[in-house]
Amino acid sequence: MKLEQKIQGKEYWRSLDQLADTPEFNEFLQREFPENASEMTNPVTRRKFLSLMGASIAFAGLAGCRRPVEKIVPYVTAPENIVPGKSLQYATAMPFGLSSYGLIVESHVGRPTKIEGNPRHPLTKGKSNRLIQAEILNLYDPDRSKNVLKNGTVSSWENFSAQMQSLMGEFKKNKGAGFAVVSGSFASPSMFRLYEQFKKNFPNADWITWEAISDENIYNGMELAFGKAFQPRYDFSKAKVVLSLDSDFLLTETDDINATGGFAKARKVDAVKEMNRLYVVENAFTSTGAVADHRLRMQTGMTPAFAVALVEELRSLGVSVKGEKYNVDGTLFDRRWLKTVAEDLVKNSGNSLVLAGRRQPAVVHAICAQINEALGANGTTVVYSELRDALRPTVDALVQTVEKINAGTVTTLLMLNVNPVYDAPANLEFKQALGKLKHSISFASHVDETASICEWHVPSAHFLESWSDVRSFDGAASVIQPLIEPLYKAIPTLQMAQLFVDGSAKTDHEVLQETWKKKLKGAGFDRMWRKVLHDGVYADEPAKTVQPQVRAGRIAAALQKNPVNFVRATVKNLEVVFAASPAVFDGRYANNGWLQEMPHPVSKLAWDNPAFISIRTAQALGVKNEDIVLIHVNGKRLKIPVWILPGHADNSLTLTLGYGRSAAGRVGNGTGFDVFPLRTSEAMGVAVGATVRLTGETYALANTQDHGSMEGRPLVREATVEAFKEHPNFAEEMVEHPPLESLWKERPYEEGNQWGMTIDLNSCTGCNACMIACQSENNIPVVGKEQVRNGREMSWIRLDRYFSGDVENPYMVYQPVSCQHCENAPCEQVCPVAATSHDEEGLNVMTYNRCIGTRYCSNNCPYKVRRFNFFNYTKDLPEVMQMAQNPDVTVRFRGVMEKCTFCTQRITRSKIDAKNQGRDLVDGDVVAACQQTCPADAIVFGNLLDPKSKIAESKKSPRNYALLGELNLKPRNTFLAKVRNPNPKLADYQPQV
Amino acid sequence: MSVSVQETAATTVFEEPPLIGGKPTFSSITEKISGIVEGKTKKAWFVLFGLASSLALILFGSIGFLFYEGIGIWGINNPVGWGWAIVNFVFWVGIGHAGTLISAVLFIFRQKWRTSINRFAEAMTLFAVICALVFPGIHVGRVWMAYFMFPIPNQMQMWPNFRSPLLWDVFAVGTYFTVSLMFWYTGLIPDLATLRDRAKARFRKIMFGIFSLGWRGGNKQWKNYELAYLLLAGLSTPLVLSVHSVVSTDFATSVIPGWHSTIFPPYFVAGAIFSGFAMVLTLAIIARKIYGLEHILTIRHFEKMNMVIMVTGMMVGYAYSMEFFIAWYSGNEYETFTFLNRAFGQYAWAYWIMISCNVLIPQLFWFKKIRTNIPAMFIISIFVNIGMWFERFVITVTSLANDFLPSSWDYFSPTIFDISMLVGSFGLFFSLFLLFIRFLPMVSMAEIKGVLPQADPHYYKKHE
Repeated sequence: MKLEQKIQGKEYWRSLDQLADTPEFNEFLQREFPENASEMTNPVTRRKFLSLMGASIAFAGLAGCRRPVEKIVPYVTAPENIVPGKSLQYATAMPFGLSSYGLIVESHVGRPTKIEGNPRHPLTKGKSNRLIQAEILNLYDPDRSKNVLKNGTVSSWENFSAQMQSLMGEFKKNKGAGFAVVSGSFASPSMFRLYEQFKKNFPNADWITWEAISDENIYNGMELAFGKAFQPRYDFSKAKVVLSLDSDFLLTETDDINATGGFAKARKVDAVKEMNRLYVVENAFTSTGAVADHRLRMQTGMTPAFAVALVEELRSLGVSVKGEKYNVDGTLFDRRWLKTVAEDLVKNSGNSLVLAGRRQPAVVHAICAQINEALGANGTTVVYSELRDALRPTVDALVQTVEKINAGTVTTLLMLNVNPVYDAPANLEFKQALGKLKHSISFASHVDETASICEWHVPSAHFLESWSDVRSFDGAASVIQPLIEPLYKAIPTLQMAQLFVDGSAKTDHEVLQETWKKKLKGAGFDRMWRKVLHDGVYADEPAKTVQPQVRAGRIAAALQKNPVNFVRATVKNLEVVFAASPAVFDGRYANNGWLQEMPHPVSKLAWDNPAFISIRTAQALGVKNEDIVLIHVNGKRLKIPVWILPGHADNSLTLTLGYGRSAAGRVGNGTGFDVFPLRTSEAMGVAVGATVRLTGETYALANTQDHGSMEGRPLVREATVEAFKEHPNFAEEMVEHPPLESLWKERPYEEGNQWGMTIDLNSCTGCNACMIACQSENNIPVVGKEQVRNGREMSWIRLDRYFSGDVENPYMVYQPVSCQHCENAPCEQVCPVAATSHDEEGLNVMTYNRCIGTRYCSNNCPYKVRRFNFFNYTKDLPEVMQMAQNPDVTVRFRGVMEKCTFCTQRITRSKIDAKNQGRDLVDGDVVAACQQTCPADAIVFGNLLDPKSKIAESKKSPRNYALLGELNLKPRNTFLAKVRNPNPKLADYQPQV
Repeated sequence: MSVSVQETAATTVFEEPPLIGGKPTFSSITEKISGIVEGKTKKAWFVLFGLASSLALILFGSIGFLFYEGIGIWGINNPVGWGWAIVNFVFWVGIGHAGTLISAVLFIFRQKWRTSINRFAEAMTLFAVICALVFPGIHVGRVWMAYFMFPIPNQMQMWPNFRSPLLWDVFAVGTYFTVSLMFWYTGLIPDLATLRDRAKARFRKIMFGIFSLGWRGGNKQWKNYELAYLLLAGLSTPLVLSVHSVVSTDFATSVIPGWHSTIFPPYFVAGAIFSGFAMVLTLAIIARKIYGLEHILTIRHFEKMNMVIMVTGMMVGYAYSMEFFIAWYSGNEYETFTFLNRAFGQYAWAYWIMISCNVLIPQLFWFKKIRTNIPAMFIISIFVNIGMWFERFVITVTSLANDFLPSSWDYFSPTIFDISMLVGSFGLFFSLFLLFIRFLPMVSMAEIKGVLPQADPHYYKKHE
């Protein structure tokens, strides 16, 4: 298929070019859109979308999975499988750095609307996270780049490809000398094939990778320990004792979904014999720290020293850790804490795990590998496998490339899906370097900071619009199949890369099939191809697990070269720690309203990234929340507001990356503060020697939860394992109340389906995935920072976060609260117009059309889970973003109350399906969006009257309790109390810092 | 009709000094009061009316913007779903209480001192209730659907939800307004006839002619009139108790700590009378001064009203302390927290304004000197109204802002539109009131005449 031939006038159909010439299509076009042929060159209009939709329907219908077809027919001859109003699911995958997520995407008449995890995929197992959920909004981002640009003026793909073909022809002569590619790191068979081909065709050219936040240190650590950069894979479900050194493995590290799932499994106190125990050492509270049984707040810069001290502690307990003895100052760390942790690790040898966060230097990862080996963890809680089809990220390569640019040896730079002008280390002065290039080409989804100053910019297609493939850590390959034609004139990555490899104009689909034809050799490529597309996973090439041996000499040598820092940061000499944003990651999600409005899991701030500091440091510096300070470090300066975070290490500042973008789009521009200017290639994780000065200015921050204490109320009920074993019903017994009797005969709810939910507080990590899933499923609007500050956020499920214990060193708990669906609902009684009422299945339902907006229901809701449309929040929603809306859910108007419906549209859908199949609903037919997403499986939902259902079983748990149950509201949503597993040796022990 | 007053020293027919000062005759009363309506409009009136109607325009402008933009222009947020709109509603309904109380209850108890202020108070009631009714109407999110609240037959076959106190409000305040209007109008009829008879301009003749309903002052008419008035008074009396009791159920029937309280109905009624009397006092002092009604509205009237204010103020104070006692006595941690938080939390300033204005300051009326001092009582009456507005603010906002789950706690701050609508509602109130005193007799001539010595059958002679 020659796609570049027939672009004029019908660009949408680019890869359906053959269709465009068929009489059927012409007829279709004439009849349906007689005057709009020209309109198709404009940005998305509704008509264009409709035509696209029509094609997509036919498209999807012709094959079991969506794949290009030779011929397309108007959908008046309705294809099979397509029922208007009924969604279809397709398997695809989402690349994310070296990692990837296998997905199932829901599509309504050719329009992807909801993303869920693929149960067959090893890295998602049917679950997902907040970023995956939010990708739908990225697809329909109205600020995406819509044109090929040359020096800022609109050009075309033909122009571009013709010029690049001649340019690459020139480079062919000197084997690519002077040409460099910077791409994101990837693990993709097709991309890697192109990479190798490129290296063959242009041996003198560079192809390097750049990720602002990457696992580079981990791979370097593995290289240090084993001589080769293996991929460590942790099995948290087998780990009885976990020690995390500055690793937020449950949220912001790689493979978070698996980690959360495995960890939660080992924590199911009702199911497992012995609950796991987690020790966390970190500077700022994270979701992982919240779940920890023991948390030691410690400056990030001290972590390597701690790791070394741990090795010595283990040695003193008789563990034979390879290598020489380290000299550790015994007074540096809390001895009792360290000793107890070491003992616990030793006691559970073989089932213990030590891991470090990605911002820790390579040597710490090597030491962790060393410890794990010594503790016999290899093969159980940690396995190593080889990286395949993967290009690792390296900062050094970028540094060298910039040097080459500055030296004039690199004259042409192609940037594939990277934004180095924004996120490259500040000392590289990338922007200046870019100006020295002869040709600079930015391939990006947006005209971002980099694209806007490049010679060429080519819009990059979203993964839901393009063909590609990925390979997960365990070797399973997945095909990324598009759900929709590129909305704008975006080019798929494979197609773009192919152009530079050999100048050919192959489509992404052709490039992909070329790779896979080699893979799926033998009989019936088509059949196998279809199966791969359908399953979303090709698991025939499992990763080889290796049993590497630690080479202690290398670690010692590395430590010799770069000795561990044993000096604590002080208030005049602070450390600055760079953290990945749980919302916008490294800035790539900065224009995503859902994620920007998602509260930070610890501070509960939305739309901003203040510097987090401890209470004591704040006192020492004389700052309070929302004060703007001036940070000096490494000769760089930054003005940023501060936010005091309980449990933060003293004399440490945590800065969140990814904010303060200047060319992200309407949502991300100017939101928060850009902290990249403080980050240099030498100090990518932690910078030391910072000073802070008050500026006297303040900056308003938007917080979704002002109050962090439970005020002694039994809201999140928690006990230790011992207490739980002694009093399994502790949660119920925590509140004494008179017998809950009603004045009148209550509705019995004895028939049919009676929906109920439990949320296991012991599993919840506060990751916010449910929140974004709910937002995507239920068309929840984004209201903006100002409204969040006014307390008007719209989320139907929120993650309440409470601190307990010592102010400086507290415990943190999460409680997801959505509508509790009370049988005696206080909201229903007070609505003057009966707009909220109970249905026969026990759902507290909202009739939006009836609601006049008195807000009385919200006032009378003890859980305050109702959300009011104070303004018409969807009025200014760009047309393209309306495509992200779920057609099964009403978009609410101004003046209407809304709240969690237990995904009533999903219940109805399942009931209709069951009825059509002539059967009753069975457990598992109805899955609420939050439940579906939850990587920890904390949410169970189903029919309470079905004795065999999971929910019935869950409600029988002794930990089951109703929040505010003493009000006799009879909520259908109940909680399973939290159980912590503190080490008895550290009971009632406040670690000394 | 002219009755000559016998000059005599034996003027102490009553145990107490006479209600009407000076030496008025029936005709002097008529002249004085009708004269206000018939005479030239005073400059001061124009100034005041200009001011008040400008404020009223601000109210209407704000409402227009509210309808256009949505109720998000107010400071309300997620925990605090009701803000100043509801505070204002309860405040104005409360003000509206004094009218009925003075007219009906005092009438039934034959408290003759009411006659000088009852017309005044009734008019004030009506206008306060009009101001009150503005707010529940505009505070809903979809104002164009507000008619769903009325039990109108409709194709949806939907009744409103009769379990909702908001619906009870609709009926309670609606009934109160209707009955108050009828009561006020009935009382006006003899005076309207007087004005009709005195009217010179044709337009006035026709208008007063229509509204006086053919009143001729015949015995039979007086008999029917007195009976109707008594019946309406009887009808109004339970309303004095019911309206604010029902309004209080908006709060009392909910589950929110600080709202969920059985003391609310009597406490609200006492508070309403308290604030209503204070407002009558404020207005009466001004009108008396401007129109020179010192002999009709005497210091004795004011003293009695001050006593009522002091008594109801103490009742309100009792309710405040009882709430605290019950919060402690119940052992309910949420309740305890709410009340401690009111007094010492983020809204403590509002709470202490309320306590000072409602409980402490009225105690000054124990002193006869202050009780009978016009400037002092004027200032105190204004304090009482400030305090009573804050009482509603404290109840509505502080309870919502800090309820069961600390996670949803938030702070309410008013916006410019909250303020403009409160100020504007005063503008509306005073505009209506100024129109009333300009065009209708502000004191009931017929009833005043009834308490003059001349009206006493024994006429200055002591009962033997």
